[in-house]
This record gives sequence, structure tokens and C-alpha cells, in this order.
Amino acid sequence: MRRCTRGFLLAALLAFLPALAAAQGGRTEVAIEHTATAVLKTDVRVGDFRALSEDQAVQEAAARLREVFANDLLLSGLFRVGGPGFADKELPFNWTVEATAEKTGDGAIVVNLNLLSWPDRQLVLTKRYKPGPDQIRTTAHHFANEVVRTTVGTEGIALTRVAFSRGRGDRRDIYVVDYDGEGLLRLTANRTLNLCPDWSPDGTRIAFTSYRGGQQGLYFLETATGQVSQVLSMAGLNLGADWSPDGKELLISLSRSGDPEIYRITPEGAIIKRLTVSPAIEISPNWAPNGRELVFTSDSSGTPQLYMIDREGAGKRRVTFEGKYNDSATLSPSGEWLAYATREDVLTQIVVMRPGGEERRIVTDTSWRNCEDPSWAPDGRHLVFASDKSGASKLYVYDVVENGFRQLTFGNDPDITPGWSH
Amino acid sequence: MKNGSSSRLWLVVLSLALALAVLSGCSKKPPVVTETAPVEQAPVERIAPAPKPEPVQPKGPDYENLEPSKYGIEDVFFGYDKYELDDAQMAILNKNARILKDAGVTVVVSGHCDERGTIEYNLALGEKRAKVVTGYLASLGVPAGKVKVTSYGESRPFNAGHTEADWAQNRRAHFERP
Repeated sequence: MRRCTRGFLLAALLAFLPALAAAQGGRTEVAIEHTATAVLKTDVRVGDFRALSEDQAVQEAAARLREVFANDLLLSGLFRVGGPGFADKELPFNWTVEATAEKTGDGAIVVNLNLLSWPDRQLVLTKRYKPGPDQIRTTAHHFANEVVRTTVGTEGIALTRVAFSRGRGDRRDIYVVDYDGEGLLRLTANRTLNLCPDWSPDGTRIAFTSYRGGQQGLYFLETATGQVSQVLSMAGLNLGADWSPDGKELLISLSRSGDPEIYRITPEGAIIKRLTVSPAIEISPNWAPNGRELVFTSDSSGTPQLYMIDREGAGKRRVTFEGKYNDSATLSPSGEWLAYATREDVLTQIVVMRPGGEERRIVTDTSWRNCEDPSWAPDGRHLVFASDKSGASKLYVYDVVENGFRQLTFGNDPDITPGWSH
Repeated sequence: MKNGSSSRLWLVVLSLALALAVLSGCSKKPPVVTETAPVEQAPVERIAPAPKPEPVQPKGPDYENLEPSKYGIEDVFFGYDKYELDDAQMAILNKNARILKDAGVTVVVSGHCDERGTIEYNLALGEKRAKVVTGYLASLGVPAGKVKVTSYGESRPFNAGHTEADWAQNRRAHFERP
């Protein structure tokens, strides 16, 4: 049952005037206009999460559950959150969430989570979980997604994760972190360069490029077991694999013929088709969500620019005409937005625009440095990218709707080439 | 565009190679190299116990275990976003080619970029730089199998700084031990 949402919040949504591009001797300048407009949000009251026992583990579970759940609602961008203990005690709430935690006879913790309408308090959704000691966070994420589905009607991202490369020089490993910055895990330890992780659509495998075989190769990591297997290691580059939306094949850039070209391969490492033929550099392929087209980078014009072709390699058209250096394109899951990195001298910045080139906006201002490798969350609203704004390269999440940023990873070692799970 | 300039580059490379071949044919002495190749010892079977032989010191440098910079090989450098060789870099490679041919050693040429630009494009650019170097060395007669190519893009900078002088040091093709 879908409830009509009533909460309006005046927040800063950036409506960008179409780029006022004035050609000046081959250079273009872009003016960006910011205006405030209304963002529709749903107001949720996070009520009591009661521990029905004096047991400390139960008390902690209830408190942790509430904290993680409320944070999930906030990070989704879809809600205003209030209630006891929050800055906003009273909002025009549409919903309230309440929970109980108790200990069963066998010592396990059981939690009940309830979504009720507000203020009439009719029970809309109830879930009972028996989380293991390390599953309180996962339980909160799971119920947050249930609340998003029920109240907003979309799929939440609370159970998604971001894989990335962390380290220095030619010693960088694949790590994974939950979308909220918790749960950091190291997945490889092979004392070579590992980078460009990309999740399979079902989340069971991460494709990445590694030098662990002595030269560059494409490898798969099984997310359940951590097992790593070599898929491909052709002479030259084996770089930037991208799973197709149906998970049946991948795009990759191989330089076996001399210079990098875009190929479609099977997950077993067999070449299905070579899609580009040119003496230039062709890299960074990324599927359109319909699986019929792809975007990639070519410097055949003299500088790296974005192009689209269909899955058979036909119908090539240039996408970017502004900027002398554009790379790392990625289409949002709905196909609504194209994000990529553009270089303006030393400042590589993140651009978001429509796939046809309309509404182009550089989302990182000049206080950002070396912003690279955007990757979309499955909600099509958030994207993660790497930037060395604060010294070492770190990962940041950008909210396309509210134009806000949050830092996802911390520490001194550089984090690069993030890939958001699906 | 790049295609045109690189085929012109290869014309230059070829004519240079031809000129070099003619020049070396005219000169009386082969290029002088101070180092000599290591002497290989054939295994000897003995029935009777024999006095333990003294370990044989190879006369030349131990090429296989040395970084190429230790026996006179120099790295070459590139312009911003460029992977073409200029005259000074070709002169360095001419010298490198003589040493490599005499030593008969296998080396790796790794391509590197400065921090500007993207990870993936820099990996491709680094590979282009390494391949231009190996292509030129091949035109000078260095066997293709003796020079392996890899690229580290911007991930393994030689200088950590962020000035143009640092970046210039990081845009290079580096010779290293396999």
C-alpha cells in the first residue's frame, strides 16, 4: 500500500541553467546558475527501539539498530528524520518506526521492527529478524530498504557496498566498504597493483585488473569466498572491465593488437567481438543500462573524448565537445544521467549531464583536486568518486538531487577507482 | 591526426635506422662498450671427488641481476600528454640499444605518467610511451623478445611533488630488470 507523502522541504536543489557556452577562440566557458527549489521528502518519526531485557547485549543491539536505521534513512536523501533524541522532535510526520529487541530461550537476539502510519498509528509493515552478533547493521539496512520500498516505492541502497583500490605505488589492493562508510574489508593481498573493481549485477563477483600474474590481467573475485581466479591476461592492457546489465558478458579494453581497443568478452574470458578499430587509444567502456549501447573514451580526435556505439560497434557518435580531456564515463542505472571526469589543467573534475549533452554541469568546484572515476549507486541519485581534495586520494559520495557531498573513506593511504555494487 | 604524426615519426625512425646502419658499416671499429658479457660455465661431471673449484667471477656485469641503470641504460622522458620521442630521447635510446645488443639481456620498459589526468587514460598513455620506445629499439636491431612492455600510468611516480619539474620526471619510459 502506497501512502501519499505530504512533507515538503525547502532545500537547496540546484537547477542549472543550460551551460551558457560562449565559444572564444576554440575555448568555451561555462556559466553555472544555482537556484533554490523544493525537494519532496517524506517525514519519518524514528520512535522507540525498546530493549525488552536488562541484558547489555540486547540494550546495545536496540540502540545500534536505531542509530544505523535512522542514518540509512538520512543517507537515502528521501526522508526527513525526527523523533525522540533528534533535532527535529516534531515534524509533519507521515510515518513512525518502532522496534523491540529481546533475548530468546536459546540466547539469540530477536528484533521486531514495525512501520506505522502517523498520527493514526496503523500497522503497515512488520518484520521479525534474528540477527547474529555481527548482523545488527545488516538488519537495520534491510529494514531501511523495506521502509523505502513501502513509503516511497523505490529500491533503497542501504545494503550496497563500494569496492575500490587502496595503497601506494604498485602495491594496491582491492577493498570493500559499506555504502555508509562502515564495514571496511580488504579483499586481496598479493603485493602488486590491483585496481578498477566492477561488481557483477548479482553481486557474487567483482571483476578487477591486477598485475599479480607479472603482467596486467583481468581477474574475478568471488565475494562469498574471497577466491580469486584469472579470466584473461593478454599481452598489454587488460583494463577497465564493465559487466553487462544482464551479467552475461563484459566490456574491456585490450591492447593485444598494438593499441587499446574495446572488446566484448564472456565471463570465461573468450572474446565475443572487437568493437573498435583505430590507431588511437580506446578505453573506459561502460554499458548503457539497456545493454544495447555503450559509452567509451577515444583520443582519435587528438584528445580523449567520449563516444557512444551500439553493442555491435556500429553507429559511433561523439558525446563530448566541451573540454580537452574527458574520460571515465558512466551512465546512471535509469539512463537519465551521464557522469564523467573532465580535466582542466591540474584540476580533474566530475561532470554530470544528460546523455545527449544537455544540462552539463561541473559538480566539483575548484576546491576539489583530481576528481576521478565516478560510479553510480543503483538509485541513480548518488555517485561515488575519488579525489585528493584532502591530501591523499579518498572516496566521496555526491547526491545529484541535493548537490551535497559526504566523505566515504578515511585514512592516509590513497583510495582510487571505486565501483558501487548494484 | 595522431595516425598521421605517428607514421611520420616512423618514417623518421626508419631513415634514422638506415642512416645508422650505413654509418656503422663505414666505421672501422664497432661501437665501444666497456662491459663484456658474463661467461657461462658448462656443467662438468666428475666421477672421482675433485677439489672444490673456486667460484668463477663473471668478467662483465651480472646483467640479469642488475637494474639496467647500473650498466649505463638511461630512461627517456616525454612531453605533457605526449608519447613521441624527440631527438634527445632518440640519442639516449641509440646508446641504450648498443648496450642492450651487446649484453643480450632481457629488460622491461615500463611507461609512466604524471598525476594529471585519469587513472585509466594514463595507463594507456604509459603503454603508448613504452611501446614507442620498444618500437624504436627494435628498429635499431634490439630483438623484440628482449624488451618487454608494461605500464604503471600515474600509480608509481618517481617524484612525489606536484610541480612541473616533478611531473616532467614522472613522464618517462623506465628500464627495469624483469
